[in-house]
Amino acid sequence: MTTLRTPDPPVAPPQAARDRRRDRPAGRRRGSQPEAFAFLTPWLLGAVALTVGPMVVSLYLSFTDYDMFTSPKWIGFGNFAHMFTGDDRYLQSVKVTLIYVLISVPLKLTVSLLVAMLLNRSRRGIGFYRAAFYAPSLLGASVAAALVWRALFMGGGPVNELLAFFGWHTPSWVDDPQFSLASIVLLGVWQFGAPMVIFLAGLKQIPAELHEAAAIDGAGALRRFRHITLPMLSPVIFFNLVMEAIHAFQAFTPAFVIGGGRGGPADADLFYTLYLFEVGFQDFRMGYASAMAWVLLAVIAVVTAIVFRTAKLWVFYDDAEDRK
Amino acid sequence: MGRTTGRTKGRGFAALAVVVPVLLTGVAACGSDSGGSGGDVTITFVWWGSDGRANLTKKAVELFQQKNPKIKVQTSFSAYQAYWEKLATQTAGGNPPDVLNVDSRYLAEYGGRNVLADLNQGAGKQISLADVNPELAATGVYQGKRYAVPWAQNTPAMIYDPAAFTAAGADPAKGLTWDQFADATQKVSAAGGFATRGATDFGILDTTLEIWLRQQGKQFYTPEGKLGFTADDLRRYWQLAGKFRDTKGASPADVTASYNTSPEQSPLGKKLTSSEFAYDNLLPAYKKANGKNLSVAPYPTDAAGNTGQYRRPAMFLSVSSRSRQQEAAAKLVDFLINDPEVGKIVGTDRGLAPNLKVRAQLAATATGNDKTLYDYEAALEPKLGAAPPVPPKGAGAIQKLLQRTYEEVAFGRMSLDDAVNRFMSEAQKGLS
Repeated sequence: MTTLRTPDPPVAPPQAARDRRRDRPAGRRRGSQPEAFAFLTPWLLGAVALTVGPMVVSLYLSFTDYDMFTSPKWIGFGNFAHMFTGDDRYLQSVKVTLIYVLISVPLKLTVSLLVAMLLNRSRRGIGFYRAAFYAPSLLGASVAAALVWRALFMGGGPVNELLAFFGWHTPSWVDDPQFSLASIVLLGVWQFGAPMVIFLAGLKQIPAELHEAAAIDGAGALRRFRHITLPMLSPVIFFNLVMEAIHAFQAFTPAFVIGGGRGGPADADLFYTLYLFEVGFQDFRMGYASAMAWVLLAVIAVVTAIVFRTAKLWVFYDDAEDRK
Repeated sequence: MGRTTGRTKGRGFAALAVVVPVLLTGVAACGSDSGGSGGDVTITFVWWGSDGRANLTKKAVELFQQKNPKIKVQTSFSAYQAYWEKLATQTAGGNPPDVLNVDSRYLAEYGGRNVLADLNQGAGKQISLADVNPELAATGVYQGKRYAVPWAQNTPAMIYDPAAFTAAGADPAKGLTWDQFADATQKVSAAGGFATRGATDFGILDTTLEIWLRQQGKQFYTPEGKLGFTADDLRRYWQLAGKFRDTKGASPADVTASYNTSPEQSPLGKKLTSSEFAYDNLLPAYKKANGKNLSVAPYPTDAAGNTGQYRRPAMFLSVSSRSRQQEAAAKLVDFLINDPEVGKIVGTDRGLAPNLKVRAQLAATATGNDKTLYDYEAALEPKLGAAPPVPPKGAGAIQKLLQRTYEEVAFGRMSLDDAVNRFMSEAQKGLS
């Protein structure tokens, strides 16, 4: 039985691959480098021109006052200081984004795991259900899905009507500061397809004999879930957690469309990226926007590092023993 | 030894691999740049607005190309907010369009940063403003330079449902006081069981605040580009709006928050209210969205009857200072403003024609919505004042600030005084 290979970096490359590499004559390996670079050229050009270059420029701009028309003025750490001392809307955007990350990520992981477990059976037509449940996330960050969502949750829309039928009269969800963020969280959770597929692959890798043995010993379904499924699945949970957290920090399209492109009613949907966009492209403060982008990058890096650090405590690698 | 040659050869190969695609892209870039060869010139022209407006504008541009076969015009358009985002990016990238539409809220932003050409100089001199109302023409001048010429004249107005207001015993077309208007909206709301309200809450609208201030002899911005009103003025304005809200004459907070500048998306367009403050040229769009036989009326006034309304430049035409085709660009601008055929094609979509001779011709033969607008502005003409000074840099953001802070009050999340203070401090920061 093969063990699951998670896509995350800490896992060492398979032994066979390492051996193969060692077999190769040293001279040939060096000699093949220029060709390798030649084949990498299209990618390198793209990476340098479209990613690294703009990043360097934006790092420079983050220390300047730049309105996109006149040349940038160096102001040192002025932009960074302003964020935390003189900008209430910035703090509001941080608050909204943190709430979104803290609620939507665990919720989405829970839902996607539950659906994956439902779909991890052999039944007739299960392939159809898997595809059907995955479909929403293909629409993913699309504007169309967000527009439909807005129509569903607006005043007099289907959600309003349905809740009113059960006696709960709510205002227009998307236009009320109390409900607006909740509708965006729900949209995020509905798009659980990507983590679900990964969970499904992970579930399939859990050896059936573990469950069988436990069942014979009298363990119930809950107990088997707690002591077999969860530990065996922990590398996949770890991977999904990291990816979803990063995505959630960068959420933009749903908030932009549902919030009417301006941060929603009374700034209730003012996501970090939305405010960044507004500052840069509507208020002509590109230096400040660049500084905000770098703070976001730093925060995501720190959060990811923390998750990686705690991984030792709860992520179980089956092949750890093989490696000894 | 074999190793060294291998390395040098490899390095050369790698260098070649880097250089060749760069050269290729360079060549491709040159290829796309040569639009001006053979005596023909190509200029770009952009505006904001709906599909309907785009169709009309493209027809006008086609006519221009027929009359000027050596000039090719590439057009594009987007919705209001997206238009500014795109324009800012293009301008920053050093690739602004040759001819562009500018709004008075953004004139200082772009003109003050030398993005727009001074049309009193060079090629711009061929644009004739001889037949344009001088007060209207003056609205395109900022700090002594003509950065824009008005393409149309519109007027802030109330779009309303005459049937609903007549049933409530009020006739906005004859002019109401704010008290009478409040009373009427309350009755309209009650008649509709409060599902359709009498008015869209105007606490979020900067234009309405401006008109209300002008009725009291005050102004939104001073000529120096500061706020022309005090915290107390804003508090009184929001108290007025609050009166409409409390009596349920105006829309509830969640409907107000859904307001969007396009008529199809606004509460009146979605049939949730029976009147809304907007601009008179938007009447056809509102009618289409709402479905009822809507009409235009002047603003409610104070007891003294000051309407505070003015000749507003509905849309400016500007030429980019970086355009290499200043002559062709100026020619297009002059054509769009002064050609009688263009006036016929575009109608009152943006407002009334800026050229008074063209306008008189069109008014004589106007029918339907166009006639409503000509009659409305003709009746109002003696009462219209001069437009206020060009709003300062940052005015585009003030509109959104007003909306946001008022929503805090409407949803009951912030006290009136706190919201007023937040608006004043953020506005002063944004305008400095």
